[in-house]
Parts: sequence; structure tokens; C-alpha cells
Amino acid sequence: MDKRESMWDVYLRKGMSRRSFVKSCVALTSLMGLSTDQVSKVVEAAEKKPLPVVVWIHGHECTGCDESFIRSGAPLASDLVLSQIALEYDHLLSAASGEPFEAHLEETINKYKGQYILCVEGAVCTKDNGIYCMSGGKPFVHTLQHAAQNAAAVIAYGTCAVSGGIQAAKPNPTGSSGISIFAGRTPVVNVPGCPPIPEVMTGVVMHVALFGTVPPLDNEGRPKQFYGNRIHDTCYRRPFFDAGMFAERFDDAGAKAGWCLYKLGCRGPETYNSCGNLRWFQGMSYPIQSGAPCIGCSNAHFWDEDPLTTRMPEYGPLGNVDKIGAAMAVATAAGVAAHGAMSVVQKQKREAAEKE
Amino acid sequence: MKEVVRREYYLFSPWLRIFHWIMVVAICVLFVTGLMITSPWIIYSSEPTFSGMTLDNIRNIHFLAAYLFSASFIFKIYGFIINRGDRLFPHVWKGYFYRNTVDVAMHYMFLKAEHASYLRNPLARCSYAFLYVLVLIEIITGFGIYYMTDPFGIGGTLFGWIIPLLGGEMMAHLVHHYVAWGIILFAIGHVYMVIRAEFMEGESEVSSMFSGSKILAHEPRDAGHLDGTLK
Repeated sequence: MDKRESMWDVYLRKGMSRRSFVKSCVALTSLMGLSTDQVSKVVEAAEKKPLPVVVWIHGHECTGCDESFIRSGAPLASDLVLSQIALEYDHLLSAASGEPFEAHLEETINKYKGQYILCVEGAVCTKDNGIYCMSGGKPFVHTLQHAAQNAAAVIAYGTCAVSGGIQAAKPNPTGSSGISIFAGRTPVVNVPGCPPIPEVMTGVVMHVALFGTVPPLDNEGRPKQFYGNRIHDTCYRRPFFDAGMFAERFDDAGAKAGWCLYKLGCRGPETYNSCGNLRWFQGMSYPIQSGAPCIGCSNAHFWDEDPLTTRMPEYGPLGNVDKIGAAMAVATAAGVAAHGAMSVVQKQKREAAEKE
Repeated sequence: MKEVVRREYYLFSPWLRIFHWIMVVAICVLFVTGLMITSPWIIYSSEPTFSGMTLDNIRNIHFLAAYLFSASFIFKIYGFIINRGDRLFPHVWKGYFYRNTVDVAMHYMFLKAEHASYLRNPLARCSYAFLYVLVLIEIITGFGIYYMTDPFGIGGTLFGWIIPLLGGEMMAHLVHHYVAWGIILFAIGHVYMVIRAEFMEGESEVSSMFSGSKILAHEPRDAGHLDGTLK
């Protein structure tokens, strides 16, 4: 199979209609966050470009990102895997295993050097030569370096791959970190989230596949079309925030009425993601809609920003900074009052001494 | 009774005084509205929407006060340029700064009956430098999180760098909130010190922030600062 098929070739081979092909292209266009006048470009790319070869590897993680990925509704994850990309290697979705499978990875990397897309899920362990995460008998860090430096582009799926995730939370015993430092000169697209939204995952890989370039990125390397807005600014409960209507507890009337979850620690004002506009599972819901405050899962160090159900951290019996600050203000006021009293005594002594 | 001869020293330009009183009002407004934004008050008496003080309004007041405060630095900078008396940074590169600091600190610790007379004593100068650092942190983190509604606009480009530097936007919010308390603690000490100097030492600290002049009985050690003859 030296001549690689394009997406249109696959449709022809499978006897699918031109109509369904164009429909897929339209779906892909809107999914990638492009305007509809880009449809013709997408169709052209899908006709001519050979299916992108994708290698998908997993590091230190829970595979929850894959769980999210297979729930993509438009396009269906099965369509994507079977007819829109050429998935050559995937730890989780492959039937093969053992030596032949590892050999196939090596073969793929050599055959498509500089052409394939590398998708990475999970953090990379750096401590003790990376022995805390082994894959195919080798430390994951070696596999990653080898695969990333020969790839056309790297997509880091999930907060683990972007910034270390839960493994990198304090005290980070395995020395976990994001993967971008191991990618060399290969461009990296960061797709954070725990997990990322299914349609965001498929949208990013299709953008790289069809246009051959990484999508426009923000200063943290995230695709602007999906991470350009704060959840707070796209939240359907925002009017309650502006009006000052808050749920005070998880079981009060405000929570039941669907008021703003800000006082229950919602991280929407600090989090960039598409939950507010794309939502999850074809627009069905997202955490805030189901009554759970956002935990900021697409933020780099969100596990360390606990407790996730209050705005400010508590310091044991001292309480939060407002209580500590008020106590310190009272102590300072008492201190200056004492200093003032002593100053008066001092002044009286001085004046008495001057009179003599 | 001994005859006391007092002399007037013109110290603060009107620009510094205007700046100072804008800062006083702005810090009070910013601190109170800031606390209300972090932990919105529960208003049981009426529907919050109809109370007038919606969180939207409170945030707008906070932002307006922040803009006014930042803009008022133009007065401070202008005064700094035209008037020597407005230049209040600590002279840490001069030998006398350390001698005078010891002199003042000994007095404040009740180890000395009185300290020499100064137009601006070195500890006060240090505390202002400290305050400006706190205010600068507040301005940068504040505009950093404010402009993140449009991360690629002018404001986001100017101030957005602080967020990765602090390790995330949540951390920037917390730093902004914590440092605000530092400013309040400074204010308590500041108010005490000026009242003490005005009414106990007769150093016209409070009145000079209205009139611009200090009327002192002794020749202050740093009087040469005003005409640039202090070495």
C-alpha cells in the first residue's frame, strides 16, 4: 500500500455516496471551528490529501481521554478512526499486541518519518530515568522522544500530556511533566482538559490532518477556536452571577433553581474551554449545567488549587485569607494603640526631663 | 516657656496631594468592592436583581476605581518631575540614609527619647517604596485577570504575561486578593504614624498633605533635599 488513500478514496472504495462525503466535510468544517465558506477547502483537502497517518501513544494516565474520544458524536469516533485517519498504532484501540505490535510502531515511524501525526495522552515521568511509566519494556519517555522527534506534529491530549495532570500534583513523586519539552522542534498542539471535550479532540486532529498545519494557537499552545473563551464568559448561568444570585450550598433553593455556582468554588472565571458553547455529548450538558461547579480541569495545576468547592483556600483553624487578614488588621490596630500609649508616656518623661 | 521659632518648608506639590487623596478613596473603594466580588454578600431582604447593587454593578465600580487610580499616577509622575519634595524614594545609596534609619528606628523602639527632625524620615520613605511595590503587583495582576476576557487584545498582551508567571489564573486571583490585605495593613500603620507625628511630635504630617507645607521648629536634617544641596 504505497499509494495512500484520501478520505474520498475510502468513501469510493466503501461504495458510499458523494452526498454523504460532502455531509461529512460540512460536519468537519463546523467542528474545526471554521466558517461555512471554508467548506470547499475542506472538500478539496479531503479529496486530495492522503489519509493522515496517526500514531497514538499513552503515558502516565487513566485513558479517560480515550473514553471521551470514543464518545465523539460528530464525526463519530468510529468514522474518524476507520475512514478519516489511518490509525497505525494505538495502545488502547489496537487488537494486536506484543512484539509484532511494537515492531509495527518502529516500522510506522521509519516509513512515514516527518509525515505522521503523533497523538499523546498522559504525562511523562522524568524521575529515575522514567522507570515509573514503562511501555513495551522501555521507559515511556524514550518512546515519546523517538516518536515525537520524527513526527510532523504532536497533539497533547488531556491535562496530563499538556502539563502533567494529577501525577504532577504536589508532591509529584514520579517527576511527571507535560510532554512538550520532549517534542524537540516538532510543533505541539495542547488540548487540555480532564478529559477534553470529544468533539474538540476529533476537531483538532482533523484540522491537522486536512490542512497539514497546526491550528492557530494561543500563548499556552492551545487551539484558539476551542480555548479562546472563559467558561464564565460563555456560561448560561452568567446572568445569575451578574445579578448576584448564588447557590450558597449544594442543597439550597438557589442550587435547585439553577443559580450561579461561583460561591461553591466554580472555576469558570479562570478556565478556558468550550464547555459553555459546545457542551458535552452533542450539546447535552456540561458540569455547571448538571449543578456541579467547574473544577477548572483544563488549567495546568488545577489539582493543586484545592479545595475545589470554595473560592479561597482555608488554612486549618485560621480560616481563609479574609479571616486571617481581619485578625491581622485587629492585631495591627492593637499594636499601634499600644505603641501610641507608650509614646505618650515617653513624651511625658522627656518633657519632665527638659523642665529640670 | 521657651520661645519656639518655626519655619515653613514647602514639600508636596498639589499634584502629589491630589494623587494621594485619589489613592485614599480608590483603595477604600477597591478593597471593599474586591471583598464583595470574592465573597458576594447574601441579601435576603430583597431579590438581588432589584437591590441595585448587583454583582455586575459592584464589579463595574471596582473596575472604574481601578482605572481612575491607575490614571492618577500621571499626577504623581508629573509632581515627581517638577518638584524635588515629591521624590520620596529611600536614598539607599547614601551613607546618611543608614545613620538616619538607625536614629529613627531607635526612637520608635523607645530606646531614644526623640529622633532628629526630618522632612521625610528614612523609614517612611522605605514604607512608601514598599507600598508602591504592593500597588504595582495589584495593578499588574488586576489588569492581567481583567483583560483575560480578550487574551489577544492590547490589554491582554500588556498584562497577560503575569498569569503564566504566577502559575495560572486562579493563582493570579489569589495573589491579587492577598496583596490587597497587605495594603490595608500598611494603611493602618500609616494612619497611626502620621497622627502620632502630627499631634505628638508637632511635625505637621497630616496638615502637609492638605497644604503642601511642613512647619517645623527644628532645622530638619534633610532640608537640603529640597534645593538639591543635600549630599
